[in-house]
Amino acid sequence: MDLSLLLATVGIVLMSLVIIGSATHINTPSDDRYWFVARQGIFALVNVGFAAFLLNFDYKLLQGYGNKLYVFNLIMLLAVMFVGQSALGAQRWISIGPISIQPSEFSKIIMIISLATMLEDRVGKLNTLHDLLPVAAYVGLPFLLVMKQPDLGTSLVFMAIFFGMVFACGINLKILGGIFATGIAMMPILWHVLKDYQKMRIMVFMDPNVDPLGSGYHIIQSKIAIGSGLLFGKGLFEGTQSQLNFLPENHTDFIFAVVGEELGFIGVTFLLLLYLVVLWRGVCIARDASDMFGRLLAVGITSMLAFHVLVNVGMTLGIMPVTGIPLPLMSYGVSSLTTNILSITILMNIQLRKQKLLF
Amino acid sequence: MVENDEFGGRLKVLGWFCVLVIAVLIGRAGYLQIYQGEYYSELAEGNRIRIIPSMAPRGTFYDCNGELLVQNRPGFTVSLLPLTAPISDDVIQRLSELIKVPVEDIKKKIAMHSGFDPIRIKADVTPDIVTIIEEQKENYPGVVIEVLPIRDYMNKQEAAHTYGYVSEINDMELEKMKDDGYKTGDIIGKFGLEKVYDKELRGVNGGQQVEVDVSGRPVEILGKKDPIPGDDLYLTIDKNLQAAAEKAVDDQLKAINAHAAAAVALNPQTGEILAIVSRPAFDPNLFAHGISTKDWNALNNNPYHPMDNKAISGEYPPGSTFKIVTGTAALTEGVVSPEELINDTGRHWIIPKGNSEGEALGLINFRQAMAHSDNVYFYEMGNRLGIDRLEKYARMFGLGKKTGIDLPYEASGLVANRRYKELNFEDGEWYLSETFDAAIGQGFNLVTPLQAAMVMGEIAADGKCYRPHVVKRIVGPDGTVVKDFQPELLANLDVDPNVIRLVQDGLHDVTKYGTAASAFRGFTIDIAGKTGTAENSHGRDHGWFVAYGPFDNPNIVVAVIVEQGGFGAQSAVPIGRKILEAAFGINQQKAAQQQNP
Repeated sequence: MDLSLLLATVGIVLMSLVIIGSATHINTPSDDRYWFVARQGIFALVNVGFAAFLLNFDYKLLQGYGNKLYVFNLIMLLAVMFVGQSALGAQRWISIGPISIQPSEFSKIIMIISLATMLEDRVGKLNTLHDLLPVAAYVGLPFLLVMKQPDLGTSLVFMAIFFGMVFACGINLKILGGIFATGIAMMPILWHVLKDYQKMRIMVFMDPNVDPLGSGYHIIQSKIAIGSGLLFGKGLFEGTQSQLNFLPENHTDFIFAVVGEELGFIGVTFLLLLYLVVLWRGVCIARDASDMFGRLLAVGITSMLAFHVLVNVGMTLGIMPVTGIPLPLMSYGVSSLTTNILSITILMNIQLRKQKLLF
Repeated sequence: MVENDEFGGRLKVLGWFCVLVIAVLIGRAGYLQIYQGEYYSELAEGNRIRIIPSMAPRGTFYDCNGELLVQNRPGFTVSLLPLTAPISDDVIQRLSELIKVPVEDIKKKIAMHSGFDPIRIKADVTPDIVTIIEEQKENYPGVVIEVLPIRDYMNKQEAAHTYGYVSEINDMELEKMKDDGYKTGDIIGKFGLEKVYDKELRGVNGGQQVEVDVSGRPVEILGKKDPIPGDDLYLTIDKNLQAAAEKAVDDQLKAINAHAAAAVALNPQTGEILAIVSRPAFDPNLFAHGISTKDWNALNNNPYHPMDNKAISGEYPPGSTFKIVTGTAALTEGVVSPEELINDTGRHWIIPKGNSEGEALGLINFRQAMAHSDNVYFYEMGNRLGIDRLEKYARMFGLGKKTGIDLPYEASGLVANRRYKELNFEDGEWYLSETFDAAIGQGFNLVTPLQAAMVMGEIAADGKCYRPHVVKRIVGPDGTVVKDFQPELLANLDVDPNVIRLVQDGLHDVTKYGTAASAFRGFTIDIAGKTGTAENSHGRDHGWFVAYGPFDNPNIVVAVIVEQGGFGAQSAVPIGRKILEAAFGINQQKAAQQQNP
């Protein structure tokens, strides 16, 4: 059992419950004051129970489902396009009974599993562009479906997963460099593909004061929240920015700003170090895994988590553009929480079945 | 395994990449929270703290009997409160149509405004506009209705020139007064007592420091400073006398088809003003709402200048009322004895000037000359005194300078003198005919109705001159007397009491058998008076009347002028009589019956 990974995960989830409680404290009618915390807490417990159950099965079983999961993923993403419900201009939700699920969250972990299956026997063989093309096409299809929703954040996560995994696979660095160079060269063309609000986000990222009451508002208010937290923070429930609603989305995408405001630099550093433990353990687990499938799974999961942390926290700190990417294990949201606990569970599963050291 | 070594190497890179990511994020957080923390803390405070000013109620006015004259009433004000976004042009356009305020005016007010308090667009709107804005909130985002005190001149235009009016401070005034704590949007006194006592009346605005949420909704009151109401003014004005005087003037103007007049009543023993009337007048309530262009133009284009307080800023030739000065001077200087008879043949023998109707009164003494207002007699007094001594006595009575009443825009008047002629005319030489004119109150002499009343008052008070004033007491909101205005003796005529007695007797005769006798027939109280007719080169003559009573122990002086009213005896005397009737409670029943037939 990977104790440090477990403790770090539990630490983050507990912190998440406290901060969600604080962020939603004033803005909810008193009857429902703890609705968000309760819901998130219950789902965390259910997920942990489910995770403990899943640890009994060898992760290698997943390998057999790789391609089926891939197809399921495509169907699910297509379903969103036809029966999904809109939120903030994007079709991202499917309602199943009382629960609205966000298929794009689950599609990330499914993407990792199927890509790991596919890449397993390609390790060390990604030397030419020709070698890479099938892989790119494999990821490209669901990528485009997510892009179409439109969910720029998740599609970027797909790219992060893809690059993380092919990098670990020993892709020829010249090819990788070539891809990045082409990507940068294509930027002006990509700009036209973006929706207006996405362009605005990029422009606002360059200078939030372009539109201080519109798109730039989130970034400005988030930086004010975090900056005014100083070293020790204003204390739980005391953050004026979050408690008075100046900070929107404060229990979901901008929850890190609440941590910054209420717990200060110390709280922020503590939380980020917990993430570092998770990420570092993810890399170690990849290193120690007993087979290549496990290694690739661990790399994919670590890449996904690292990208989420970088982009989400970077966004609240004003060094990354605003994308709808939640902070793993912190942001309120059942789908995201489930995906992330599932991901950690897979890491633990791999760790449990790591290669025996030979003395 | 080579490929495993390769894989391990790539993993190390990934691992260190993760460390780098976390390190960058921690570094960035440290930069915001430690290095720039103070800056963001201030921004957070600015986000959540608002000052909501609360206007101090302006001090109210009471008359000498404690009756309320001017008060405040709550009124609905349309204001803008742009919280998260500027008010859109659509909303401004819609609001402009609703409340009839031009779009440019609204935009100017928005541009001029700073701070988080509401931008006041229109004061005292009607309830139906309030209803529309409240019911169609979605059409008027950022528009709010505030309940603010509105100045209420309960008696409309009654004593409007004395009370004055209030309205929003303008740029020029702000420039001058900002050191005294005046701010944009302040309501200040612009005229009358409102202007003179603005500092006392305005009180100290208070405010609340509140914590607000993102929609500007107050969440918690952090600090509170209650407004301190302004001081109240207790006036020397007698509301009943004021009302009677207004009515007397209005009735007379209507009767003789004249348009402008002024009247002053004061107590000669104290200087307390009992009533001031100026016609035409205005309704000061118009300004409290924010006056409309139409109303403003109507006031501005009226040829009779309703905005002038003619009682203190109107300058008129004193006409025969000046004979009080000439007579006092002649007796004091000994150029004539009370008994000396002067032969009025209808014209003076040096310069052929005579009485207005050309009548000849024959041999008359001082008292008869005064009673009948004989011009020839007083031409001769002027002839004997010379212009310099006339000037000396006119100035002794206080003419040619402001009386110092506590109202704004008082005029000084003018005393005819050589120097004035030298300075203002090409032919600066002084002629005897000008002395003649000066002796009967024509020519260069100019007085205000208040000055005319003061001259009469000095005779009534045996030579004493008290500073005229409208405010008796300033009382703080807690009931303490802030300032009490005692009678202030300005001067004492340097004249033998016997001379004053002689002048008094002459003035008494005016109402007994003289020029005002027919008007005062049957008047139960002894009155001293003097009529006058001031030549007016622009039209009909102005009619004057000054009087005091009771004759033996005077407590009221009245001065009346009717612009272009013709002879004072016909135009001004009836007004003076009615004011005196009201002051002494004579014929009030009859007047009441006339009012309610």
